[in-house]
Amino acid sequence: MSKVNTIAGQELRDMFSAATTWLEKCSADIDALNVFPVPDGDTGTNMMLTMRSTMEEAYRAPDHSASGVAHAMAKGALMGARGNSGVILSQIWRGMAQGLDGKETFSAAEMADALRESAEVAYKGVSNPVEGTMLTVMKDAAKEAKIQVDNGEKDVISMLEAVVSAAADSVARTPRLLKVLKDAGVVDAGGQGIYIILEGALRYLKGETELMRLRKPQMIMSDMPLTVPLPQAIGVDEIPFGYCTEFMIKGEKMDPEILKKKLEKKGESLIVVGDESAVRIHIHTLDPGMIVQFATKLGTLHQVSIRNMDEQHQDFLEMQKERMPTTDTAVIAVASGQGLVEVFSSLGAVAVVPGGQTMNPSTKDILQAVQAAPSDNVIILPNNKNIVATANQVQSLTEKKIKVVPTKTIPQGVVALLAFDYEADFKANAEIMEKALTSVKTIEVTRAIRATNINGLTIRKRQPIGLLDDELITAGDTDLDVIKTILAELGMKEAEVVTIYYGEGIEAAEAEKISASIMAQYPKLQVELIKGGQPHYSYIISIE
Amino acid sequence: MTVKIVTDTLSDITGDLAAKLGITEVPLYVRFGEEVYRDRVDITSEDFYRRLINEPKLPSTTQPTPNDFAEVYKKLAKETDEILVITVSSKLSGTFQSATQAKDYVQGKCRIEIVDSTTVALAEGLIVIAAVNAVKAGANLDKALDFARKAASRSHLIAYFDTLKYLAKGGRIGKAKEFLGAMLSVKQILTVKDGEMAPLTRVHSLRSGFEFLMSVPSRYPNIEGLAVEHTTNPQDGNTLAESLAKIYPNVPIYRSIISPVIGTYSGPGALALSVLEAEKK
Repeated sequence: MSKVNTIAGQELRDMFSAATTWLEKCSADIDALNVFPVPDGDTGTNMMLTMRSTMEEAYRAPDHSASGVAHAMAKGALMGARGNSGVILSQIWRGMAQGLDGKETFSAAEMADALRESAEVAYKGVSNPVEGTMLTVMKDAAKEAKIQVDNGEKDVISMLEAVVSAAADSVARTPRLLKVLKDAGVVDAGGQGIYIILEGALRYLKGETELMRLRKPQMIMSDMPLTVPLPQAIGVDEIPFGYCTEFMIKGEKMDPEILKKKLEKKGESLIVVGDESAVRIHIHTLDPGMIVQFATKLGTLHQVSIRNMDEQHQDFLEMQKERMPTTDTAVIAVASGQGLVEVFSSLGAVAVVPGGQTMNPSTKDILQAVQAAPSDNVIILPNNKNIVATANQVQSLTEKKIKVVPTKTIPQGVVALLAFDYEADFKANAEIMEKALTSVKTIEVTRAIRATNINGLTIRKRQPIGLLDDELITAGDTDLDVIKTILAELGMKEAEVVTIYYGEGIEAAEAEKISASIMAQYPKLQVELIKGGQPHYSYIISIE
Repeated sequence: MTVKIVTDTLSDITGDLAAKLGITEVPLYVRFGEEVYRDRVDITSEDFYRRLINEPKLPSTTQPTPNDFAEVYKKLAKETDEILVITVSSKLSGTFQSATQAKDYVQGKCRIEIVDSTTVALAEGLIVIAAVNAVKAGANLDKALDFARKAASRSHLIAYFDTLKYLAKGGRIGKAKEFLGAMLSVKQILTVKDGEMAPLTRVHSLRSGFEFLMSVPSRYPNIEGLAVEHTTNPQDGNTLAESLAKIYPNVPIYRSIISPVIGTYSGPGALALSVLEAEKK
């Protein structure tokens, strides 16, 4: 592969010009991702327009050194910055220009320094830096560049390959850092944009211009499950978004730091960047008039833009419709315990109503979840025999169509949800799910609450007891005893998959012993251990 | 002169069958780092899957260039003046685009029509086979084109994925992303809907996956053709094909290996079942 040890101004310009075209190809895809800070759905377009202005200035620059080009890019970016993401992007170029200041050409090590400076300046430009955004992606990219250089990497292409890959990982991680992204099941749009710019520059350096002409950038996917697939849940708060207010002040002897302090309390997502003679301001405020009035005292205003974000939010919701789940049926489950709730939501339940043995939810609790569900067709999985009747009452209280699949245990609920068919309609799905119930056996292990004689068993108080499909069939000295007795009773010839959900108060090590013991006895089984966290039952075991 | 049919290697019509049908296949590319291979020209499926499992870095894939198609068009134009091209879904690959752009490079009076199969693997292949049969029965280009387009809407692909890891990394997951992140070690059944990957259902084991695949053909009243494919698990594929043959003794069942290009996204242990519904009379 060709190696590149230094980059001159001309190449710097061409690589980011190619990156701009690359970004342009997917700016609409990036728009569709936008949820942060408010869902206005134009991050991709804003970044693309900012990059265009950046590159136009770069080509106008009389100075063809790396330093000259980088300074021109920074100027172009500041002049043309649009939106929150554009302003941050302009700071990235400003940092780059500082890093490359006075350099005719630059090496991998010098580029790593400039990237670090970019990340630093970008963080400074934002009054409340939030992790899980393009800032994080830029920081992670810069960090990787330093690692490469510290390891002796001299080839700019190899270094950038590692940087681009680190940026991709960083983008995929953004939902872990930022809840609003996790809820929406998307990665950060600005971060995505940064990744694509870096990737485009890399592809150019690798000589893939023909390929870039024919293809489109690949978007990075979230590595998190989409647990709340409802667009209504994005930015749920009823707080009005106000006006996205942006402009540039041209004046004299201005101090961005002082301006930032003065505006801090006037709105959200404040960004103030620039120098003595030109300052760009971006703020989300309920009173744009006041902001503009304040600014006119400082100098002349340029590129003033005031947009109603509530309207933008509506447009965004429209755009989100495309991202709606592929089916018109919503499933609601009843369960308790963090782990069980996650199991159900990770398998696509739109809501999990808290409840279970000895804590039956009210009809109203279930009704609320039904009303909030993003569909008029709702399937309810009660997951307990005492909750089936409650669930059945919901139909009389709502206009929505309800089907109750009478799951009496958690494992029944899980197999029912697994069997959900994305192509089948509401009625067919209820049937498919109910049919699946026969494919699973449930063991529940708990403690006797009092001494008793039942089903021919003499049971002491607090003794471990075991139920098979809701029927008490054994008591033993330990949980493992109880489980083994029931497994022996079942024969296990037909069984393939055993899933063990261990409850609240059970140590992981203890549960692992039980899982290992079952695996040793039944080596052909696929055994899975999950921290269910359910109260009341020390173990719930599913046998399929 | 009869219509010549061209497809891409994602249709999984390989070797003898391709020769017997008299079609031309344009290969896509798979790349491990700097090494570029033409799909099943420079690398066998077996070699590819061995490397897919053993190498830490995932391969990448590329559509054929317009020039690849243009070369084929030029060659065929010496024998015929009507070419029908059937490609993989344009939402899964840029192959359709390359095939279309290539038309501009061919001079002369040869007519070239391109059909987006809106699917992939032998679900695409079954459309190609149906089109070949139509041409053999005397269809000209217009008729064959119309026939292939209609067949595209009758061809269904249902796939069993042991893991979604590869699909998610390759960025072609489409609507099937709803299946990501399940807390349990479930297996996914996916389909191709409106040209892109879409979720169908989930199962907890290979056996239940098998049972589901076995039940799929009964969704369609009349079946013209079936096809079974695997990635790293020929035995599973054979068992599925044999079991289906018992239920559908009069339906042709084609057997192939999922293209390395698709295998890049399906990963090891995958199975694909394609169903071509018969035309409604």
